[in-house]
Amino acid sequence: MSTRLKLISAKPAQAVEPEAVLEVQGLSKIFRVNQTTLHALENIRFQAGTGELICVLGPSGCGKTTLLKILSGFIPPSAGQITLNGLPVFRPGPDRCVVFQEDALFPWLTVAENIAFGLKGRGFGSRSVRQETERFLSLVNLEAFRDYLPREISGGMKQRVALARVLILNPKVLLMDEPFAALDAQTREEMQTFLLSLWKKLSHTILFVTHDVTEAVTLADRILVMDKNPGRIRHDIAVPLKRPRMRETDAFHHHCKHLYAMLRTEKAE
Amino acid sequence: MNDRPKPYRLLPWIIPGTLVVAWWIVSQSGWIPGYLLPHPKDIAKTGYAYIFGLDGNGPYAGRFLTDATASLLRVVMGFSLAAFVGVPLGMLSGRLEWVEKLLSLSVNGVRAVPGISWLPLSLVWFGIGMKTTVFLVSLAAFFPIYLNAAAGARAVPPILLQAGAMMGVGRIRGTFAILIPGAMSHLVAGLRLGLGISWAYLVLGELTGVPSGLGAVIMDARMSGQIDVIIVGIALIALLGQSSDYLLRTLLRMLFKSARRTP
Repeated sequence: MSTRLKLISAKPAQAVEPEAVLEVQGLSKIFRVNQTTLHALENIRFQAGTGELICVLGPSGCGKTTLLKILSGFIPPSAGQITLNGLPVFRPGPDRCVVFQEDALFPWLTVAENIAFGLKGRGFGSRSVRQETERFLSLVNLEAFRDYLPREISGGMKQRVALARVLILNPKVLLMDEPFAALDAQTREEMQTFLLSLWKKLSHTILFVTHDVTEAVTLADRILVMDKNPGRIRHDIAVPLKRPRMRETDAFHHHCKHLYAMLRTEKAE
Repeated sequence: MNDRPKPYRLLPWIIPGTLVVAWWIVSQSGWIPGYLLPHPKDIAKTGYAYIFGLDGNGPYAGRFLTDATASLLRVVMGFSLAAFVGVPLGMLSGRLEWVEKLLSLSVNGVRAVPGISWLPLSLVWFGIGMKTTVFLVSLAAFFPIYLNAAAGARAVPPILLQAGAMMGVGRIRGTFAILIPGAMSHLVAGLRLGLGISWAYLVLGELTGVPSGLGAVIMDARMSGQIDVIIVGIALIALLGQSSDYLLRTLLRMLFKSARRTP
């Protein structure tokens, strides 16, 4: 607990404008299905600063997963530009790693082998691969499960492996697509706390997609609230609450209520 | 399997055991004459002579090793050829639409022709012996291997390929580290089916009058009316087929993590 508080004080909230890592400008995506056009995303623009934890919040069908797929390079945008440290982004790459909602571990590899996977075949010696794997195994508290196969561990553990296997690559941005949505409520809360503790240690820039208001308020420095038909960013709001955030406090409730109201008015329109 | 209770391990032997006992009773009672179905006792004697070549069993005594080696060589060559062509081609057509479009009509057309129909043609082309047998075996084994490899490559979850792409995996490593392991259960199924069919077509190829081989022995024994030798040949082919299947599975498990670890 004490280290956590120290780390928070070391990171003054909103003191300096952080340098932008990820910059998205005029991003649109249009799907054409049977002569009907769907504006999945319209004129999305935002910046993510170094070490920022940004949540993208919106109802299902607002295009938030599409946004993440475009950012990760799996699908091309219809218009607009994405730059990472000033360089344009075209295809998938280890500078923008993804933690998927569903289980995307390799079922024929053990926990340790899954974590080491990304490091292999890029010129690291086997000793340094082993050392790094050990480091990240212990970082996600899975040393005891190193030789287990994905099907032998729980959903929460799987997502911890999924985190470790991308964090080991030291991505510039970590993209998370509702990674805890398939977990039970208790595990989800544990994973949120766990993600925050990892983020404090490694201070990655994280873009976290969710439809869960409480989750967004628990995690985010900033929340991008999305709207659907067409999918666009309606609000960009800061969450100035101190961490660790207690769900029982009035301030927390206030933020949640505020966000629920935003989502409701969007639906009504 | 080995930690199963004992009754489970006996289960596979109930049917063959019962058949042998029934056969014994039928032969002992004399309901079926020996020239149609020899007594199991005589089969055992013939088999022993054929394998170990002790008391003179005419022309067949002690020929087993020569025949089995010849047959195995033909199966291994034909099967390997089918696997080396079938697996890559199948995986390509499972992943790339243009390869699938290019091949599917021709492959399905050739597949519709029963393997036996190739026998006369291959006799003309390759003559009697090794080449014809290898040709027939590899032709027949190709289809299950190819089709299963294609199905396996198609069935690899896209999310695994996406995961590889975002971790910076290129084409070559993606193929060997994700695509092949991801398709492994299909590949194993196709190879096992192909090997099984290889044995069937081995006998067909050897029926044409090659000097050695298990199929040749069966055919030869029919000419000379030695039913016991035919039955011994059939039993040995069953045994070798089973063992080769077991060996194939063991080999694949030794070579590939994915064959060991995915059900």
